[in-house]
Amino acid sequence: MDHFVSMSAVIPASVVVPLIGAALMAGFSGQLPRWARDLIAIAVAIATCTLTLILMVSSAGRPMIYWFSGWRPAGGMVIGIDYAVGPLGAGMASLAGLLVVAALVYCWRYFDGARGRYHALVLIFLAGSVDFCLTGDLFNLFVAFELVAVTAFGLTGYNAGHPAPLQGAINFAVTNSLGGMTVLMGVGFLYARTGSLNLAQIGQALAGRHPDGLVVVAFALLAGGFLIKAAVVPFHFWLPDAYGSAPIPVCVLFAGVLSELGLFGLIRVWVTVFSGLAGGPGPRMRAVLLGLGIATALVGAVMALAQTQLKRMLAFVTMSHLGIYLIGVGLLTPLGLAGASLLVIGDALAKSALFLGVGVVQHQRRSVSELKLRGRGRGLAITGVTVALGALVLADLPPFVSSDGHALLVSAADQAGLPWLEIVIALTVVLSSGAVLRAAGRIWLGWGTAESPSPDAGTADDSGDEAEDRPDTTDPAASDDGPEGRERSPRPSRAPLTMVLPPLALLAIGLGLGLAPGLEAHSAAAAAAFSDRAAYAAQVLGTRGGPTTASGRVAAAASHAVSAGGLLTDLGQVAVALCVAAIALDRRTVRLRRALATGTEWLRRLHSGLVGDQVTWLVAGLALLAALAGVALR
Amino acid sequence: MSVLAYGVVAWLFLIGIYGVVTSRNLIHLVVCLSVAQSATDILLLEIGYRAGGHAPVFVNLPAHPGPAVDAVMQALALTDVVVGAAVTALLLALVVQVHKRAGTLDPDQLRATRD
Amino acid sequence: MSRRARLVFFAVAVAALAVALGVGLAGLPSFGAQLSAYARMLNELAPGQRHVTDVVSAISFDYRGIDTLFEEFILLSAVAGISVLLRPLSDETRRLPQDKAPDRTIPPPSPAVWLLAVFLSSLLLLTGIETVTHGQLTPGGGFQGGVILASVLYVVYLGTNYVTVERFQPDALLEASDGLGASGYVLIGLLGLLAGTSFLSNVVGLGVTGDAVSGGTIQLLNVVVGVEVAGGFAILASEFLDQTSVIRTKRR
Repeated sequence: MDHFVSMSAVIPASVVVPLIGAALMAGFSGQLPRWARDLIAIAVAIATCTLTLILMVSSAGRPMIYWFSGWRPAGGMVIGIDYAVGPLGAGMASLAGLLVVAALVYCWRYFDGARGRYHALVLIFLAGSVDFCLTGDLFNLFVAFELVAVTAFGLTGYNAGHPAPLQGAINFAVTNSLGGMTVLMGVGFLYARTGSLNLAQIGQALAGRHPDGLVVVAFALLAGGFLIKAAVVPFHFWLPDAYGSAPIPVCVLFAGVLSELGLFGLIRVWVTVFSGLAGGPGPRMRAVLLGLGIATALVGAVMALAQTQLKRMLAFVTMSHLGIYLIGVGLLTPLGLAGASLLVIGDALAKSALFLGVGVVQHQRRSVSELKLRGRGRGLAITGVTVALGALVLADLPPFVSSDGHALLVSAADQAGLPWLEIVIALTVVLSSGAVLRAAGRIWLGWGTAESPSPDAGTADDSGDEAEDRPDTTDPAASDDGPEGRERSPRPSRAPLTMVLPPLALLAIGLGLGLAPGLEAHSAAAAAAFSDRAAYAAQVLGTRGGPTTASGRVAAAASHAVSAGGLLTDLGQVAVALCVAAIALDRRTVRLRRALATGTEWLRRLHSGLVGDQVTWLVAGLALLAALAGVALR
Repeated sequence: MSVLAYGVVAWLFLIGIYGVVTSRNLIHLVVCLSVAQSATDILLLEIGYRAGGHAPVFVNLPAHPGPAVDAVMQALALTDVVVGAAVTALLLALVVQVHKRAGTLDPDQLRATRD
Repeated sequence: MSRRARLVFFAVAVAALAVALGVGLAGLPSFGAQLSAYARMLNELAPGQRHVTDVVSAISFDYRGIDTLFEEFILLSAVAGISVLLRPLSDETRRLPQDKAPDRTIPPPSPAVWLLAVFLSSLLLLTGIETVTHGQLTPGGGFQGGVILASVLYVVYLGTNYVTVERFQPDALLEASDGLGASGYVLIGLLGLLAGTSFLSNVVGLGVTGDAVSGGTIQLLNVVVGVEVAGGFAILASEFLDQTSVIRTKRR
């Protein structure tokens, strides 16, 4: 009966290690020299990443269930809290660990003003992410959700000397804590109905029944909270404000981990709790999720093109890809989930490389405005290559991981009878990568003009200066004058290696994973295991039976997914993205660009950065979600 | 009785959000958020309530104690209170800095992040 | 959106959300009618299994102890985040408060206020310690007692002045207690691993129900959390006080 219970100490160690590291950083870092702080933090992050990788590998064949405090289920009732470790969750946790290592290496000797507290916050972020990915308890999921959020709020407002990061942090905090509240209400409703807080047990209690108003609203509240975190339309308005003004290494964590956790939470709760409902996983729920995903992808892509502030542009690029992941997840099939997982990994590496590259530019050239940086990329060749390559990887350049994920996703869409999704994904990807390539062309090759086509190119041009060896405040007069302003404070002529190498390393990892054989089959198997509710419940509750997953079939379908046709489509996407960039930079297309700018004026105006507007959209979105869930689940 | 009990939850949550949306002062906004938070605490405690029940503390009980209320919900509410306090404190720190840097406490006057 | 447009949009949206919430709330079991089997089981078994009289503490620190670990770290991260947000930036400096009249020092607090502060802070200290260490017996515990302990700092500030507070609450000590409290929880949890069972198992002797020392790790965890919360809230207080009293823009 205790077939899947594991006593392996690696499981609790994966959260204990970063937590202890964080506690020591928070408490005693004042006594340590600067280099020791960085070294210890990096070591802790590497250890956590290694532990979660071990978990990913050892849980591939069968999941590992770990009961905390020694309380195993008794009489079919769950008493304590468990971790249900599977390769998908552990893989997500490893990704978080890897990105934390990259971010910490990047900011070697960077954040000194806050002593060890920055490192403590980042390590707690990591611990919270690992907990979120591994836990099998619904309330523990909520606590991890809030833990990750609280650390994120503090990290966003790090450059507290500028109004932009502060406003971004406030918008982030208000919307996401409302999200936490809706999740908790959903948890309360489910407990009232089923009397349990364990995902497997709740799922068992609801299985086979027809959902009534309470269950529908519980789903809407839970999904709403996770979708707020995942920045899905119309809950997304906080994302450009926060991601566009947080410090660069923090943006790496956010773009690669934070929002993806929201989608992970959504699919986790859906599979373990709601997928067993009578008439539940039908085409209507799929339509709802796909609709949200498509809207998010397209809005993100269009807005990315309209940006001239690099960090804000990357924020919208992140959002557009989140829409694509939601499309993959929303297909509600293991193959779609597998495709989305590979895309998450591949894109996270690429997005992080982009953010770190922009960080190097900001460090060396003191600006993140695409227009002001025109032609000033000379001397930063490696970073230029990194940024261009990152953008191409986001466009699914083979043989990086993203292209494998894209192939799986397209195959899943075909299987579901929705081949036109491929066009939506392609459109999103070429527009968002095109925007980044346009910026790269302008900055490194000096193409294009120095003015933007739209007359009121937003005020979001404050670079949100990094708090390094430079005063925190920006003298407003100095930000827009010529060479004299720059010479006032000398910059090192070369960017430090600890800033230039991590993005390249991340891209190299993406290439390596993409070349690894059998990756698609492994991810498909992981996704299939993840998606089987009955088997999961049987494993956790220790009952016999539960049909084994049809993972063999899914894996076989996956390994056939990558084909010559898929390769051509990916290369085609890359080519079209390059064309989009070229068109955007061509002086002759000024009128076209101006027309597009006025055409999308209303959309840009909606992103006002005002928290009152954002909460209003949030309320509207929750109400809409409740209505849609009512239609989809009955 | 149920209508009133659960109606309070919906009322507090929605009026808190109304306060956030129409606020003209960031400190007022944070307090309204806290009001909405308290709605979730109350919901948890109400779900755990048992008519005629006593607190789940088994000391100095009367001769015929009734049932005890749900201790799990109380533990959850405790956690939620701590989370709410943490978020409120963080937001207030942000508000202090915003007042210094942007010179205003009116959320609608903050123009640093927009398109 | 203009304020008017926002208000109209919000009115429609909140009405729809109210309907949705109403539908959800209507599905809840009647208020006070039933108790889940989980809760009934814990109410019956916890006093016997864990030798405690306050079941909520047993749930927080034993049955669902890992939740409380993360909750403690939420508080730690909030404190760290606030320290980061309110740190003196490069265009600011720390200047102790001075009397506006330059030829005298700040007048000392009146004896009545000072005496009241001494009395209150002693009372709060004792109450806080009692609440923390008796968490397994009566309502209370680490979080509640820790907050009471932290309020001692506020009372001292109110009764005296900033300089006194800073002398008696050195930052390093507060940070250390914050960090010790947090890591202490994890280390106690590791005891379970060392003893061969799960992380956070209650492997210390449970004592007799109702004794001042009972409940095993439940009491230890309460103490550790109390230390962390007290340190954390005290740091919060001193950070906010710093911002109002001490941190000033550098004059160019």
